[in-house]
Amino acid sequence: MRRTARTSARRESGGRAAALFLAPFMVLFALTMIAPIMYALVLSLLAEKKSGLGFAPAATVFAGLGNYAAVLGSQTFLDGLARLGAYCLMYIPVMIGLALVLALLMDTAVARARKVFQLVLFLPHAVPGIIAAIVWVYLYTPSVSPIVEVLSNGGIAVDFLDAHLVLPAIVNVSVWEWTGYNVVILFTALQAVPRETIEAATVDGAGGLRTALSIKVPLVSSAIGVIALFTIIGTLQLFTEPTMMHTATSSVTSTYVPNMWAYDAAFNQHNLNQAAAASLILAVLAAALSFIVTRWTSRSQKP
Amino acid sequence: MIKVRAKMLGGAMAAAVVLALAACGSGTSTAGSTTEDGAQASAMASASGNITFWSSVANMKPVVDAFNQSHPNIKVNYEVTPSAAPGYAKLSTALQAGNAPDVATIEYYRLPGYASNGDLQPISDYIGQADLGKFSGQVRGLVSLGGKSWALPYDAPPMVFYYRKDLLADAGVSTAPATWQEFEADARKLKSVHPDAYLASFYPDDPSTFAGLAWQAGAKWFSTEGDSWNVNLGDAATQKVAGFWQKLIDDKLVKVEQSFSDQWSQDLQKSTMAGVVGASWSATGIVSRTKGQEGKWAVAELPNWGTPADSMLGGSTFAITKTSKNPAAAAAFIQWMTTSPDAIKARGNVGSAWLAYPGLSDIAKANFSTAPFGGQDIFSVFQKASSTVSDGWNWGPKITATYTPLADGFGRLATGGTISEAINSAQTATVSDLKNSGLSVKG
Repeated sequence: MRRTARTSARRESGGRAAALFLAPFMVLFALTMIAPIMYALVLSLLAEKKSGLGFAPAATVFAGLGNYAAVLGSQTFLDGLARLGAYCLMYIPVMIGLALVLALLMDTAVARARKVFQLVLFLPHAVPGIIAAIVWVYLYTPSVSPIVEVLSNGGIAVDFLDAHLVLPAIVNVSVWEWTGYNVVILFTALQAVPRETIEAATVDGAGGLRTALSIKVPLVSSAIGVIALFTIIGTLQLFTEPTMMHTATSSVTSTYVPNMWAYDAAFNQHNLNQAAAASLILAVLAAALSFIVTRWTSRSQKP
Repeated sequence: MIKVRAKMLGGAMAAAVVLALAACGSGTSTAGSTTEDGAQASAMASASGNITFWSSVANMKPVVDAFNQSHPNIKVNYEVTPSAAPGYAKLSTALQAGNAPDVATIEYYRLPGYASNGDLQPISDYIGQADLGKFSGQVRGLVSLGGKSWALPYDAPPMVFYYRKDLLADAGVSTAPATWQEFEADARKLKSVHPDAYLASFYPDDPSTFAGLAWQAGAKWFSTEGDSWNVNLGDAATQKVAGFWQKLIDDKLVKVEQSFSDQWSQDLQKSTMAGVVGASWSATGIVSRTKGQEGKWAVAELPNWGTPADSMLGGSTFAITKTSKNPAAAAAFIQWMTTSPDAIKARGNVGSAWLAYPGLSDIAKANFSTAPFGGQDIFSVFQKASSTVSDGWNWGPKITATYTPLADGFGRLATGGTISEAINSAQTATVSDLKNSGLSVKG
């Protein structure tokens, strides 16, 4: 009796300690995440209504799901979503594939070269996204870019900023920025692969390629899943690169991707209600995609 | 134009940002004051206290200092704001949050948006018709809506045409094109001697130049009729301008490129851009991009459609916001800034600005070096251009609802879109946006 009482008391005090440690996080989380999302939810259900010529202050009215309908009914928003889909189809396989290949190569490289590769590959990620975008815009702009000039001297006339190439050009910037970061994550996971397993494979006669494909890749699949999750959430937030490209080419419109649509709605059209609705639609989409990815990776890991 | 702050926008984060900016936006509104015109002029004379002033106009610091020195009762706090869209984003969010400045800088094309949104206090409450009447009827029209004046005009930049004398001379052209037909012919001649050169640019990202060209041709995109707005982007004059520029683009006589882009600067430097369809203020930007071409540039009135006509491109006004607690002091400051020669003298180098108040441009002229233009008296060209600006043009209650779809449509020019299609989609988008916001619209 005494014993159980004591354990439950200890458990209680443990709970109190946990609450104490968690409180700062929970307070900040509630203030900076939950409250804004709730407010955005409220905003997205309201609308500003003027009348006649205007001049009188607008009245705030309840709009129900009207803003959501307006966002989902907007051709430019849907075009942006489709563009984002095309971007994902190009970006995710290329980036994750490249990161995996580089991580596997690094795992086999001699120990000294590893550190150098790790640094070199990670370096682009250390450049702030906005700076990277400015540099790449410069490298893409015809008559300014040394790359375009060299190519055209070699007889290849290419305009990276034209309407057909600009999306792959944006994919390229993202790949450049993010591959090194993901290589580091995958490489760390590869380090954790038990050496005995690899030795056993070698003893059984598996070559380097076979070991990589049949032993290492399956063993780091959970890390690949995590990367896929972060990447998908990241791609939904695509904003910086196309916004910078927009200053250099008309192929990137002011509503090129959904986030730019929301930015335009909030800060150019001053329609915070529709911007809130668009942002929440994106948030729901991100949540749904994360759910699918986590379900898919956890299922594929079951023996 | 780097929108760093926007980097974190996305998904749930966007919601957070939207909140942060709108948090304090609960309705502060001024009761519609029904005073007679200029009835509070005496209040302005005895005004005192602190006011804040936001502007993206260059070199305003010494102007504010001069005002503070000569008006000991009023203290103006000056804050530099970003120009163009980011600046309006800042102003609009501040208005919503209730911490806007007393005096805001608003370009003509944005003024009806703020006025019709109830964001401003009419300046005609303080400044009477006698003073307002000193501005030309044409700029006065642009700051008046619903029977009240909402701001005082600072500059009134007429559209003009800048061109490279030497490049046109190579093509056997010795004078600037007086009409658009001549402009097209000159562009073809230029192309035959300099195949890489263009006579002008078409800016897909900035519809204001196109709007100015339509205005010059006699278009009237926005008007009011009783209690309703009329939106008419597709009128005959606009269609004429659209067809003409479409032909220039299709025949590669003008180059489609972003305004103020690196590419545009390069084209100017490499002499592949032989002309600029711009406004009086463009001179400063052209000079800074064309080192080594001094004396080769000249300015002329904008080519016309047969009879002299012009329009304005850009131009700033100063307005009193609805949240100002000291509108009398704000009005006094605005009046001094826009009409006093001391304000222009204090600013020093005003660039190639064409000021709205009569006589003030002479002071600007004295400070502008015309060496890049071979000593040409460019201000007299501005004056002539300014005198032919067509009356009767109005800006709409929400220009961004027009400009975003218009720019998006122009963005499709490279993939087979046309100017005409862009205009049609902008017309539809504008009407539906205005109707959705509750305004009464015909069109």
